[in-house]
Amino acid sequence: MKKIMLFLVVCMLATSEMSAQQLTGRDVIQKVRDRPDGDTRYGEMELTIRKKNGSTRQRKVTSWAMDEGKDTKKMMFFTYPGDVKGTGFLTWDYDEIGKEDAKWLYLPAMKKTRRISGSSSKTDYFMGTDFTYDDMGQRHVDEDTHKLLREETRNNHKCWVVESVPVDKHEIYSRKVTWIRQDCLIADHVEYYDKLNKLHRVLDIQDVKKIQGFWTIQKMEMKNVQTEHSTTIVVKNTQYDVKVDKTLFTVAKLEKGL
Amino acid sequence: MKSLILFALLMCIFSRPVSAQDEDSLRVSVKGFVDTYHAVRIKAPNDWMSSRSRVRGELTLEKGYAGAFVSANLIHNTILKERSGLQLREAYAYYSDEHLDVRAGRQIITWGVADALRLTDIISPMDYTEFLAQDYDDIRIPVSGLRLRYSREKWSVEAVAIPVSSFFDLPTDAENPWSVGPVPIGSEPVHKAYNMEYGGRLSFFLSGIDFSLSALHTWNKLPVICNGVGEYRRMTMLGGDVSIPVGKFVVRGEVAEYLDELQSGGARAASTNALIGLDWYAGNDWTLSAQYSHKYVALGEHRNTGLSTLRISKDLLHNTLALQTFAYIDVTNGGVFNRLSADYALNDQLHAIIGYDYFHADSGMFTIYKKNSELFVKLKYNF
Repeated sequence: MKKIMLFLVVCMLATSEMSAQQLTGRDVIQKVRDRPDGDTRYGEMELTIRKKNGSTRQRKVTSWAMDEGKDTKKMMFFTYPGDVKGTGFLTWDYDEIGKEDAKWLYLPAMKKTRRISGSSSKTDYFMGTDFTYDDMGQRHVDEDTHKLLREETRNNHKCWVVESVPVDKHEIYSRKVTWIRQDCLIADHVEYYDKLNKLHRVLDIQDVKKIQGFWTIQKMEMKNVQTEHSTTIVVKNTQYDVKVDKTLFTVAKLEKGL
Repeated sequence: MKSLILFALLMCIFSRPVSAQDEDSLRVSVKGFVDTYHAVRIKAPNDWMSSRSRVRGELTLEKGYAGAFVSANLIHNTILKERSGLQLREAYAYYSDEHLDVRAGRQIITWGVADALRLTDIISPMDYTEFLAQDYDDIRIPVSGLRLRYSREKWSVEAVAIPVSSFFDLPTDAENPWSVGPVPIGSEPVHKAYNMEYGGRLSFFLSGIDFSLSALHTWNKLPVICNGVGEYRRMTMLGGDVSIPVGKFVVRGEVAEYLDELQSGGARAASTNALIGLDWYAGNDWTLSAQYSHKYVALGEHRNTGLSTLRISKDLLHNTLALQTFAYIDVTNGGVFNRLSADYALNDQLHAIIGYDYFHADSGMFTIYKKNSELFVKLKYNF
């Protein structure tokens, strides 16, 4: 009997050791992407853009999102400052690689909606911040090749450290290294390296809380270490599984506004 | 001037963000701006072409599915004194639920996908008091009417009825540097039910393409000279538009057939209008857009005319500096109007804009303004 017990313990240890060894960088990133976040979401973001000399500017955004299978529909309106207030973005993000996202921009001054390119703006910075449009959205797992470098503890959180290299060489970073918290599957720290492999931007997630049972980022800062320009995003009033109909994510509602 | 300041103060005091998410409570939203714009002619006699300050206030009241929107300007215009005063832009009531959107009242209605050119977008006319040397959003003249729209996820259908039409505002006063000359404009159509404008638009929004079909029984809203007098006549527009994103590009197209359109001299004939446009979202905050629009009239000696536009814009300094050049090119006659501008955000609210309007033409639509090249400055405070 003792022999049987010993055999079982050895088998279990071996299995667990094997699964830890077999966990790949892609598996970790897939886990992050699959982290539960409700079928619908609502949030209000305050973006503070800080120059090297300390002067600041602000942007405020209200957004809704809805999952449809693996695809996601998003509606976003600027609420501050006045010159962009009422400007709206409607995005249908497709999970399928190669299928271009559908995007519309509504400009209230022109009273007009424009169909905009679904692929161009991903590497541009979002409204003068240090976050690119890609950083603000959800990148497809296979748009990068991932390598699990190690496990280490950072800010008292046990993390996986994953290096991601973009498949498309036109991306603005040559590689990024992400410290992913194992407890909540949210990044704690990300380092972006430029084409010359010099550290370019650093993202720190400064506040993570559980809201309605879902781990939620409350505050994060992206800093360009080369220019010392930075952007802090504070997320307020996050709500999950809000009652929104899919008719919210239409051009008609984009033109109607908030 | 006192009333201008008072209006600005009132708008600032009542400027509150949308505060309540409760559908049953009254939601109040106010936005607007204060701006001052001054332009001087480059060539002799180097006179002031524009000098105006204004307050724009926009108020939205909403409770449940119903609401009202009012937009007004309070203007002090030093050059065109008759333009000073309170000017109501839009004022409409609306009902908007998940699928139905109804607007009744004075409103700007925009159709089509063309940028600063009008083929199917002929409901709201243009204010040419200062020609195109105003912001494009200031140029549209609202119409009083009813707009019904029923929308589903990937399509919408819209019907419009405009009992009393609005027409182009053309300056004929010699004091105005943008005057088109002493052209007598005939009387507008009488306000009778049979002169009503009506039409509809069916639009589709799909993952790889947007397209619309539209029809409108309307008027030529830009007066056509017949026996020395600007006249308005009935016409019918049948049109369509399309937008197709392809990688970093968006291809836009628009066609409109104007049936029974009034032509110079008084004859009526159909015209075919077609536009092709290409937007290039080049990355690094560069945007380039080019359009070519062609008109063919099935009558007369000069049957073909072409107009082109080119827009290049670049944002710099983390979107605090926006550089843009926008040109209208009269392909038929070789004329050009180009607006070059630099817009710098001094802070979240305040923008300083400088620019240069360049005219070059020996014949065609820009000839009367060939001496109107100007430098302009503008300061704009948004709230």
